[in-house]
Parts: sequence; structure tokens; C-alpha cells
Amino acid sequence: MNSPLPLLGGVLLLSLPAVWGGESEILATPPASAPTTAAGAIYESVIRIEVATQVFDYRTPWNSGRFGGGIGSGFLIGPNRFLTNAHVISNARRILVTKRGAADKHPARVVHVAHDCDLALLELEDASAFEGLPFLEFGEVPALESQVRAIGYPVGGDRISVTRGVVSRIDFRAYAHSRIDSHLVVQIDAAINPGNSGGPVLQGGKVVGVAFQGLRQADNTGYIIPTPVIKRFLKDIEDGRYDRYVDLGISEFPLFNPAMRSALGVADDGRGVMVASVLPTGPCDGVLESGDVLLSIDGRPIDNAGNIMVDGEKVILHEIVERKFAGDTVRLEYLRNGAKAEAAITLKSFPYSRIFAIRYGERPRYVFFAGLVFQPLDINLYSAFKFTSPRVRKIYQNYVKDGIFKARKDVVVLTRVESDRLTTHMTEFEGSVVDEINGTRVRDLAHAHELLYSAGQPEFITIRFNGISRPLVIPSAEVEAANERIMSKNSIFRPFFLGQPESASR
Amino acid sequence: MKLPSLALALLAGLPGPSPADDARGLLRINTTIQTFDTAQPWELDPPRQRRGLGALLPGKRIITTGEMAANSTYIELESADGIHTTPGKVLAIDYEANLALLAPESDPAGTWLDTIGELEVNGPVNTGDEVQIWQLEENGDAINTTGTVRSVDLISTFVPGHYFLAYEVKASLQSASSSYTVPVTREGKLLGVLTSYDSKDQISDIIAPEIISAFLEDVEDGVYNGFPSLGIASILTEDPPFRQWLGLDAYEGGLYISRVLPESAAAKCGLKEGDVLLAVGDQFIDRRGYYVHPRYGRLFWSHLIRGSRMVGETLSLLIHRDGDERRLEAALERAVEPLIPAHMHDRPPPYLVKGGLVFQELSRQYFEAFGKEWQQRAPLNLLDALHNPEDYEEGRRRLVFLSRVIPTPATIGYDDVSNQIISEVNGRKVEDMASLAAAFRQPVDGLHTIRIDDVPYVLYLDPRLSDFVDGKLLEAGLPSLQRLGD
Repeated sequence: MNSPLPLLGGVLLLSLPAVWGGESEILATPPASAPTTAAGAIYESVIRIEVATQVFDYRTPWNSGRFGGGIGSGFLIGPNRFLTNAHVISNARRILVTKRGAADKHPARVVHVAHDCDLALLELEDASAFEGLPFLEFGEVPALESQVRAIGYPVGGDRISVTRGVVSRIDFRAYAHSRIDSHLVVQIDAAINPGNSGGPVLQGGKVVGVAFQGLRQADNTGYIIPTPVIKRFLKDIEDGRYDRYVDLGISEFPLFNPAMRSALGVADDGRGVMVASVLPTGPCDGVLESGDVLLSIDGRPIDNAGNIMVDGEKVILHEIVERKFAGDTVRLEYLRNGAKAEAAITLKSFPYSRIFAIRYGERPRYVFFAGLVFQPLDINLYSAFKFTSPRVRKIYQNYVKDGIFKARKDVVVLTRVESDRLTTHMTEFEGSVVDEINGTRVRDLAHAHELLYSAGQPEFITIRFNGISRPLVIPSAEVEAANERIMSKNSIFRPFFLGQPESASR
Repeated sequence: MKLPSLALALLAGLPGPSPADDARGLLRINTTIQTFDTAQPWELDPPRQRRGLGALLPGKRIITTGEMAANSTYIELESADGIHTTPGKVLAIDYEANLALLAPESDPAGTWLDTIGELEVNGPVNTGDEVQIWQLEENGDAINTTGTVRSVDLISTFVPGHYFLAYEVKASLQSASSSYTVPVTREGKLLGVLTSYDSKDQISDIIAPEIISAFLEDVEDGVYNGFPSLGIASILTEDPPFRQWLGLDAYEGGLYISRVLPESAAAKCGLKEGDVLLAVGDQFIDRRGYYVHPRYGRLFWSHLIRGSRMVGETLSLLIHRDGDERRLEAALERAVEPLIPAHMHDRPPPYLVKGGLVFQELSRQYFEAFGKEWQQRAPLNLLDALHNPEDYEEGRRRLVFLSRVIPTPATIGYDDVSNQIISEVNGRKVEDMASLAAAFRQPVDGLHTIRIDDVPYVLYLDPRLSDFVDGKLLEAGLPSLQRLGD
């Protein structure tokens, strides 16, 4: 079958540059390797995944968005459990799995998806066709210069593909799928291409990674998700739920300056990094303060640049937290006003920073009111509308850092003013952040909806925007007729969507 | 086909004009312009040359645009034929209205300036009237182009955001030497100064005679005040629900006052944010901001303040507040300079260097160094201050910021810090460059402590090391470690 469907990698390649700057692209890839005897058996456990997608349009949140599809790879790791990349199955409406050399398409569903580390677990509605096939096992992080094989269903044919290469770099870098998360990656020089995504990379018969992204401007650089990240994902979901990565919620500033070291009372021994900021409500809030000096984490000394040694490699101190889970603790030793102190920090995930992470498969939330469209600010909205107002840009940029989320779970933006006789002179408000409705500060989109649509409205509904002196005024007597008129003309079939219960609750 | 007849009519209509009269009072002005380097404010950018025209007025004064003379390090007056030159000086300059009055540096008596004639200043004309635009050929011959006043509008020609009365004249101009600014005349008298020409539409913008007269009148007493300003920001009241909410009549006008600058004429007369300005004097303002001018018809309201009146005049404002109408008496004055000045022409930017940290006072000029797309490319914290100065005004006369870090032994680890707004140094509020310099004279606990608005929020300097580094920077070619400004 020579499918005209764009390959999954291609799809993301097209959709990602807007937010990712095009440096890195996601691949659909795989490879496998196996000693000759086991090779055939391993190939049987690598699957081709065909996905039909629906990508919502944040500019017209009431519409269905764009329908499309793509192809990726995956592999069997347990009874009716297939591992692949989150980006392979993101926005999926239908997932079909094909076995090597077979024509049957088996419907599959997502058991768990982790957008922050680009991994997902699938199961088949009927797994009988895969019974008796070997489960691929996981190995360790492969050594530099050691050989690996990538197996999967990339572009260039319908049959399984195997490529071979060596490990060329082990690094901590950004995962393009969510845009904001960085974890350990292994770079290999085997050719991995769109379609390889989700496929296994093997060494000595064991999986050492999942092929997931490449570099647009460079040849022979493929990135794989190494096993520490995969194992963390599999451990996280053991309780039946994916809880995401946890974070210390601090930023550091290197202590290279002698005057700064002396001001903070730090010895001149190369140890210690300054705490520059502490995330409000984060795990370290109330424990650490800006200006503290971190000396060690879980007993490992921290240098002036914020690095520690792990397994003989120099890594940033956050690598310790990378491998932990919500509820775990981490021991910090720090200096405050020249005096040493210690604290045990209980780690937790921090949902508000997901405003900066690309969202998948979520119908956009919005409220329509008398020709005005209100939407919560996040990266999807930001890239759809390309806001230019410095106020919106500043609120977005400082949302987490300045603790804006404490008063505003959502930053509600007036994104559109639909043309109508009532709204002709209101377009200047487009792209502004709502502060107050009828004198009440808006906490989130549901709150805005409640304030706009509750019974007993005053004669004039007044909406105040951040940094704009004059309010937007809607006479309540005109709301009903305006809603009816504009919704029918503009094919807006429902006036709001406030989210699924679980996504609304976060 | 039409041109010859027009020219004939003109010749016939004028009291015996000779060809020489076509260029009476016309001379060339050559200026050398140098502005300060944005990144290294202690030094000047490379010089640029500007060649334009000027008109000699009675009293051996020469009028041209402000843009011709702003930031000039040398001005040369040159006869039309290019044979004579003499150095010039600036008597008065208005950057906002884009006008400058020049004079020869030494006594012009008995020089070539005595021989070129003078131009009287003409009064205003009506739309539809014909005017003459004067240019010079390279050889010194005059080119006289006739154009028609198409419309009258308020436009901003030099400092952004300052709008003044201007004529839009339709005429087909040719490019000629020194045509950067060009006098426009009617009946042999100076009518205006041409500031720009759009060759596609063949429309040129001409500073109107009212503005030139007000400028010259202001200069008379030897002290140039400049045009007054109310000190408000306003929003149109076109939106019907907004008008209803304000309690305004559906069919009348009014401007919603969105901001009253502190210490301004508006603030002093009691005008408040949320008031609606209905009339200035006896001129009513419509909902789009226009009033009816007796000569020109609908003009934007700001001409009632800037261009029609002088500093010191009082003016009655009719406003709508809380459902009532009332009158306020405003004494017109110059606008207080805002926290972030709109321009720094002819003012060397204040700066201070400490141990390699470079501090500056923020001005609009700084943003323009980020290129055409500066609204997108300039640092967000500085842009926010530019757009919302009211959030930064408390305790500040100017916005002092750390523009960059010169790598030195004192600034190790700080190299990547740039464009950070300063709030405090050594525990003292920084209200301008002079107070920053004062704060640096008093280190606390043997250290300089500098509070900035982003990570790492605080920087420390060793006073002895930074003084040592400062000495080295002077040796390395910095002319001075500070320029504290006005």
C-alpha cells in the first residue's frame, strides 16, 4: 500500500516548526537489531502504527479542526502492551496496528501517554494475533561509540527497515514533542527517518532506546529516548496513572563571581550554586529563598555551575530529580547568610508550567459571549494567535515565575471580536487579557463564563482588560439577541466549552 | 500641457517677478550629524552628511526642518550656486514640530548673505490654492514647481507621536540636489517647509504657516519655550454601548481621557482619567476627535492645543464627569518630560560604568537600535516599561537600567546579564543616573549590591576591584566613566 497519508514524522515536522523553531524534528522511526538467530523473532514484535488524527484549531475553537493521519512504529514489551512515542498517537481518533508481513489492521487504544517524555503505551482490542511473540527487554544506556540497530517502519517502503550506527553522544536536551521538557537523550548516527518514531533501538538483543527525533539541518543525527527515561515512565504508570515528572521548582545562577561568593559567605572551593528564584507554591517554596547557596543534593556535591557527578559523568543537579517520583524526597544542603542548613524536600509535579507545553488531543476551551470569544492562554493559543501586545507577552512569560497562577488559574484572553453591529467598535480589545468582569477579578475561564452568563446581570456588563483604561461595555438587554444573531451567522454551534471534568480541574 | 499656461498665469499675476525672484532667499544647508552609540554611549557613531535647503528670513535667520539640524556637529550655509559658504549655528530648534532656525556664526554684514534677498512669511492658504515648491539644480538654477493644496491634516514628521498641522500638496517633483528639505512659497512669500515627498502619489507634506509663525513668535524673546501640551492620553468614544455606559448623548462627541500625566497642565486643572472631554474653548470635539476649523474644516482636536496656542495661555475645557458637565481652566505649559523620553536629540545619553557594568537611562532611542521590528525584538521588560510607564514612575525620574556587561575581572559570571531594570543599589532607590552615582559612592558591608528585575535579581561587585577595573577601562580608551545628564 503506497499510502498518500503524510507520515507521522512529516506531520509533526509541519506542525512543529511554528513553536519549535525547526531545530529538531520528530521522527517516526525504528530499528532493531538482533543477532541473526533472534532477528526474525524480534522483528515480529515490532509493529507498524497507523493513526488517523484530528488537530483542533485554536483560532476557531468551536470547529472540528483538521483531519489527517500518520504512521509510526512501536514494539511489544509485555502481554498486550506496546511501547511507542507519545507524538505517534497524539491527537489520534483511530489507531490501527499492523504486524510484520500481515495485512490485518488491529484496532488499538492508548493505555497511558506521557507527553512530557514523549512515550505512550498501547493495547489492542484483540491481542490474539500477537500471542506468543517475544517481549523486548530493556538494557542500559549504551556506551559511546558502541553499535546499535534501529528497527521500524520509516518512509521509503512498507516493509520493516533496519539501520545500524554507533552512539555518538549522550546528552541532556529538549524533547521537541512538548517543547518545554528536557531529559537524557542518546544521539546515534544510524539513519532514522520519519516513520521510525516509536521503534526500538537495540544492542545485544536488548532495547537501549526508542527512536524519536532528529535534526533538520544535520545528517546522521538521530535521537533516541534511553532506558532510564523509559523505565521511569513504566514505573510511574505501575499505579495505573501517569503522574508526570517532578521538579525542584527553583532556578540557579552560577557562582563564578568572587564578590558574589563573598557576599553569600561561600568558601572559595568551587562548591555551591546560588538559588536565583524559588517557584511560588513549588516544592521548595517556604524552604529555600532566593540568595541561598545549594551545596549538595542527596549527598552529591554541587559545583559553582550547578553540576554534580553521576556515574562518572558531569550532569546538572536536576538529574537527581529526573529519576524520582511525586512524593519522593530529596535532601538538600545549603548555605543561608553563611550558616549551613539542611532540608528534605518532598517532590511534586507542577501543573501550572504546562501552560508552556504543547497540548495534544484536547478540545480547546472557550466562551462565546455577544460576539466576543474568550480563551485561556497557553502555548497552543499563543502560537495560533501570535499575540503582539507586550502586556500579554509579559503575563505569559512571567505566569509561573511571578506566581500569577495563584490568582489566575487561567489567563483569560479576548481572542476574537466577531463582526456585528454591536461589536463594530470593540476590535481594539482583541488580544488583551481580561482582568475583571463586573468588578470581579477573573480566576479562570469557568469563572469568566459564570460571571458573564449568570442571572441578574446589571444593565451594563463591564469587562476590564489589563493595561487598557476604558472598559468594554455590553448592555445586558442586547446579549441574547446578539448571541443568537452572531452564532447563527458565524456557525458557532455552541456558546462555550469549559473542558472535560479532569482537564477542567487542573 | 497644462504646465506652461500655469507658469504664464503665475508670471502675469505676480508684480514683475524676475527669474532671480524664483530663488529669493534660497540657500543650501549642509550639516554633519553625529549621534551617540547605543551600546557604548560614551562614543559617537560615524558622522553622516545631510544636504538640504533653507530660506533666509528677515534678520538674517534661516528656517529649515528640525531634522536637518538635530544632532549636528557642524552646519555650513552655502549659496545656491555653491560658490560661497559660511558656518552656521542653531538659534532655536523644535524637534516635535520639526523646525529649526539657523543663523550664520559670524556677522553676515557685507557677505553673500546680503545679496540673496529675504523671504517674508506668508499667512495660511485654503485647500485648492496653488503653491510654489522651490528646488535647486546642481548648477544653482532654481526649479519652481507649482502644486495644489489637497488637504490639511495633523501629521508627525520627526519625533514619533507629535502631530502638527500640515498641508498635503499634490505636485510632481523631480529629484534635485540638496532637496532634503525644501521651502514652499506663495506669492513670493514663505508658506511652509516641505518635509517629505511620496513619488508614487506625488503628495508632499508641508509644515503649515501657522506652525512656522508660532515657532518664530516663540523665538522672538530669545527664549524658546516650545509648543504646549495638555498631558493626556485619550480614547475615541465611537462605541455606542460605551457611550451609553458613560451617559453620553448618542449623537454628540467627546474624548474619553484614558490617562492624565502627573504634573501636567491637565492634572493641575483637575482633569481625571475617566472624564470625557467635550470641548476645548468653544470648539466641540466629535466622537472621532475632530472639531470644525473655520478655514480648514474638520481637524484633529490636538491642533487646538498644539499650534493654536502658546505656553502660558489659559484655556477652558468642557468635560463630562459622573453625568454632569463642568468647565475646567487649564493653564497651558510644556509637557513634563516622561519617564522614558521620546527622543534624546542633541543630548548625550547619560551613562555610568562600574567595574564593567554599563548603566543607561532608558529612552525611546534605545529601542530603535533593535531595528525596524523593535516592537517584537526589544527586551520585553523594557517594552513593558515603555508601554506602561505608570507602573514604573514611583520613585523614579528616569528609568535606569543595566544595558550590558563588559567582561572584566569584576564581572566574571555576569557576562550574559543585559537590559535589566535597576530598582536599588546599595540599599538606595535609583531615581536617575545621578542618584545611581551617589549610591555607588556608599558601598554597604564592603560590597556594591545591585538589584535587577530578573535572574539572578542581585549582583555584587567588589568596590576595590571594580574601581581598579574602572581605572583600566579609562586606560583602555573610555573617555569617562560617567555622564550624569540633566
